[in-house]
Amino acid sequence: MPVRQLSEILINRIAAGEVVERPASAVKELVENALDAGARRIEVVLSGGGSRLIRITDDGAGMSPADLSLAVERHATSKLADENLESIATLGFRGEALPSIGAVARLTIVTRMKGADSAWEILVEGGKKHPVKPAALGEGTRVEVRDLFFATPARMKFMKTERAETQAAIEAVRRLALSRPDVAFTIVAEDRAPVTYAARTDDNEGRLARMADVLGGELRENAVAVQGEREGVGVTGLAGLPTFSKANSLSQYLFVNGRPVRDKVLIGAVRAAYADLLHGDRHPVVALFIRIDPREVDVNVHPAKTEVRFRDPGLIRGLLIRALKDALGEGSMRSSSTGADRLVAFARRHVGGARAGSTWRGSAAPAFAPGFAEETQQAFDALASPSTDARANVVPVAAELLDRPLGAARAQLHETYIVAQTRDGLILVDQHAAHERIVYEKLKAALDRDGIRRQILLVPAVVELDANDAANLVERADDLAKLGLVIEAFGGSAVLVREVPAMLGETDAASLIRDLADHLAEWDASLPLERRLLAVASSMSCHGSVRAGRRLKPEEMNALLREMEATENAGQCNHGRPTYVELKLEDIEKLFGRR
Amino acid sequence: MKVTLERAELVKALAHVHRVVERRNTIPILANVLIRATKNGLELKATDLDLEIVETIPAEVKQASATTVPAHMFYDIVRKLPEGAQVELQSGSDKSALQVRAGRSRFTLQALPETDFPDLAAGELPHKFKVVAADLKRLVDKTQFAISTEETRYYLNGIYLHAVDEKNARLRAVATDGHRLAQAELPLPKGASGMPGVIVPRKTVAEIQRLIEDAGEEVEIELSPAKIRFSLGSVVLTSKLIDGTFPDYGRVIPTGNDKTLIVDKSDFAAAVDRVSTVSSERGRAVKLSLTSGKLTLSVTNPDSGSATEELEVDYGSEALDIGFNSRYLLDITNQLEGDKARLKLADPGSPTLLEDSEKSGTLYVLMPMRV
Repeated sequence: MPVRQLSEILINRIAAGEVVERPASAVKELVENALDAGARRIEVVLSGGGSRLIRITDDGAGMSPADLSLAVERHATSKLADENLESIATLGFRGEALPSIGAVARLTIVTRMKGADSAWEILVEGGKKHPVKPAALGEGTRVEVRDLFFATPARMKFMKTERAETQAAIEAVRRLALSRPDVAFTIVAEDRAPVTYAARTDDNEGRLARMADVLGGELRENAVAVQGEREGVGVTGLAGLPTFSKANSLSQYLFVNGRPVRDKVLIGAVRAAYADLLHGDRHPVVALFIRIDPREVDVNVHPAKTEVRFRDPGLIRGLLIRALKDALGEGSMRSSSTGADRLVAFARRHVGGARAGSTWRGSAAPAFAPGFAEETQQAFDALASPSTDARANVVPVAAELLDRPLGAARAQLHETYIVAQTRDGLILVDQHAAHERIVYEKLKAALDRDGIRRQILLVPAVVELDANDAANLVERADDLAKLGLVIEAFGGSAVLVREVPAMLGETDAASLIRDLADHLAEWDASLPLERRLLAVASSMSCHGSVRAGRRLKPEEMNALLREMEATENAGQCNHGRPTYVELKLEDIEKLFGRR
Repeated sequence: MKVTLERAELVKALAHVHRVVERRNTIPILANVLIRATKNGLELKATDLDLEIVETIPAEVKQASATTVPAHMFYDIVRKLPEGAQVELQSGSDKSALQVRAGRSRFTLQALPETDFPDLAAGELPHKFKVVAADLKRLVDKTQFAISTEETRYYLNGIYLHAVDEKNARLRAVATDGHRLAQAELPLPKGASGMPGVIVPRKTVAEIQRLIEDAGEEVEIELSPAKIRFSLGSVVLTSKLIDGTFPDYGRVIPTGNDKTLIVDKSDFAAAVDRVSTVSSERGRAVKLSLTSGKLTLSVTNPDSGSATEELEVDYGSEALDIGFNSRYLLDITNQLEGDKARLKLADPGSPTLLEDSEKSGTLYVLMPMRV
C-alpha cells in the first residue's frame, strides 16, 4: 500500500481521541477555557450524559471574529503569549481542545468581546468549518457541543450509560470548582436538580467554604486543615480524619496550581502519610492544593493534563507527608464525629419496634435453645434479688478533669470500656485499642530516636532486578540504610543486600527488594519497608498494652485518658478504627428524640 | 543510697512483692517497686492501688535513702545472679538510676522518684486480732473456689469474713457465685468480736494463700470497714475491701432437707469424673438417681453418647432423681476432709447441702441443674 499524507480532518479526529476521550473530558477542556478567559460565572448544561448536548456559558473576555475563526484551527491558542512552555500559568496551552471537539461533534461558538457591540458565531461540523456570521449574545462566550462523537461512531460504542457519563462530567466540574472558589458555577443536567456554587472569596476561608459546598459539610467536621511550606512550594487544604476513610480513592482531590491532577507522586505521598493510620484497603479523603513556581513543574506530559512532572519530586513528597502528618497529629484528639452519628443511627434502629416480641423481664437463668437439649444451672433464689446496697462501681467525678478533652473517668464497663464524662457529653473508650496506640507511638518514637538495629547477613543476598530499578534503588541506599537495610550495587542489574532490619526477624530479602523496586515508580521507595517495620511495631505494642478484661482503677483510667490527650493520633488504633467515641449531649438528646 | 545484702533474702522478698505489680500499666510508677533503706534494713513495697505488700529484710545500710525501679526487671536480674552472691545497691544523689552490683555483674536501672509512689494510706484500723496461719489458710482454702468472677455482682467477688456472735462465737468465711456457696469457720479469736463484716477481694485472698509458708506462725489481722491488713512475719499486706453489702446468705442454706445420702468420698468423686467424660463442654450435668442403698450416676450427651455407673451408698429415703454440674460437684468433694461425704437433699429444684461426716465447721450448698 502506498504511503500517503492523512487528511486534515482525519488528523484532527485522531488527535481528538487523545484529548476528548468522553464527554467529561470535553466539559473539562471547555470549563478550563472559560476560566482562562477570566470568567466570573460559568454555567454548564448537560443533556444525554453530555453526548447529546454540552453547553458552557461564561462571562469571560470573549473573542474577536478573527480570533474566533482561528480558535477552531489546530494548534491555535491565545494562551502562550511568549512562546514559553517553561512557565505555564494557564490551565490550557496546547491549542487542541476546540479543533478536537470540532472534529468529532457539531460545535457552535457564540462570543462577544468585552466592549464590542456585536456577537459572532461559528459552526464546525465533524471537522468542517463554516464561515463566521453575526449573532446575538451578552458579553462572554457560549460554547455548544451537540452530538459528540457523531463523526467517530467507534468511540460512541465505548460510552458508558448516560447516568455514568453525566456523573463523570459533573465530577470534572466539581474538581475545577474546588480549585477556583472565586468563580460561581452552575451545573444543570437532566434528571437532577440544578446545582449552584456561589462565588466565594479567593482566600483560605473562601476555599473552605467552597469545599463544604462541593464535598458536603461532613468533611468539614471530620477533617483537619493542612498547611505547609518548603522552599517556595506551599500546600493548603483539608485532610480527612483516618476514622473518616473511604473504600476507594475517588475522594482524593489534588491540585497543582489550580489544575486538578491524579499524579503518582502526590497519591503516593498521601498514602505514605496515612500508612499507619489506615488499614490497607481504606483510602483517606483529602483536598490538597499545591502552589509551586510554574517553572518547577511540567504539565505538558499528557494531552489530558492530569499528570504532571515535578522537577524535584522528593521535595514535594517530603512536604506533603510532613504537612499531612503534622495536621493529623494535631487533629488526633478528634475522633470522627461520624462515630457518634453512626451510634445514634444504630441505636435508633434497635429501640422500639424491633424488640416488641421480648419483654423486659430477664429470665433468672440463661435458657439454652431447646435443640441443644442441655440442662440449665439453677441459681439461689435468695441471691437473685439485688443486694440492699446496689451501688454500681462508679467513680466520684473530679470536677477539674471535666474540662479536659477526654473528661473524667466515671466507670469501667465489661472490664473493657471506660466511660468518661465531659462538660458537654460523654466518652466511651476502648481501653485496649487506646493503650495499644499509645505504646505504638512510643515504640515509633524510640525507633526514630535510637535508629533501627541492623542484622548483618552471613551470606549477602544477591537480588537480580532490571538495570534501571537496580540503579534507582542504589541511589536511595542512604535512605534505606536509615531504615536498617544496607544494599550496594552488584554488577549492572543486581543489588547486594548486606544488612537487614533486625526486628523483621527472618526476612526474604529478595521479595523485600523487589517490592521496593516496584514502588520506586511511584516515588514511594521506602514505603514497603516502613510498612513492614511498622507492622512489627504494631504487634509488639499489642502485646505490651493493657488488654480487654483487665480491671482498671479510677487513677489508671484517668492516667490513660490524659496519656491519650498527649499522644499523637490517639483517636484511632493502628488499623484506623476509633479508640474512642464521643457522644455530645445533643447526640444523646437525638437518641431520645428530644431533638 | 548504699546497701549490701544477701541475694537469697532479696530474691525471696521480691518474689513476694513483685506479684502484685501488673505487667502492663497505664501509670508508669505502678510498674515499679519502692526500695527504702533504713536503719532497720531494706524495705520493699509494691502496689496495684488496691493492694500493697511491704516486706522488710535485713541489710547492711551504709547510706539511707529511697527510690523506685521496675519491679519485674529488678526481680529477674536478682533471680539470675549466682546463688550466695552479695548484692550491692547504690543510687547517686540525683536518684535517676539505681546501680545493682554483684560479683562482676553490674546493672543500671532507671528510677522514678519515690515521692510519686502511691500510698494506700490505711488510716485507723481499730479491730485487731491474731490467727494461727494454718487456720487462716484453711478458712481461705475451703471457700476460695466459690468466689464469683462476675463483675456486675462485685459484692460477690471476694470472701465475706465476719464474726458470728451466737452461743459459741466464731469467725466465719463465706463465698458464693450464686450457684454454690462455701462456708468455713473458726472459734472467734480474741479481739475479733464486734468487727464489721468485710468482703476481702479475690486477688488479696490469692496473695494470702501464697504468703502463708510457715503454718505455725501467727498472723496479725487489723481491719476497718474499708481496709484490712495482714502481718505475717516480715511481710505486711494491706488491701482495700470491697465496698458493698454481702447478701443475706443464711437464707440459702437449707435447714429442712430430710433425705440424707452418705457416700464414700473418693469413690463418688472418681465416678462423677468418669461419667462426665462423655459430656460436652457446656452444661456438664451429671444425673444422680437414688433408690434405697443404690446411687446411679448418668450422663447423656446427644452429640456423643452416654455413661452410667452404680455405687452402693447409705440412703434410706424415697427414690429421687437430681442433676448437678459435675465440675461444681468435684470442686466441693475436693474440699471435703473426711472419708465420707454427706449430702442432704430435698427435691430436684432446691439447694442441696454437702458436709463432711465429721464435725468440721465447713459446709457447702449446691444448686441442682434441671435434667
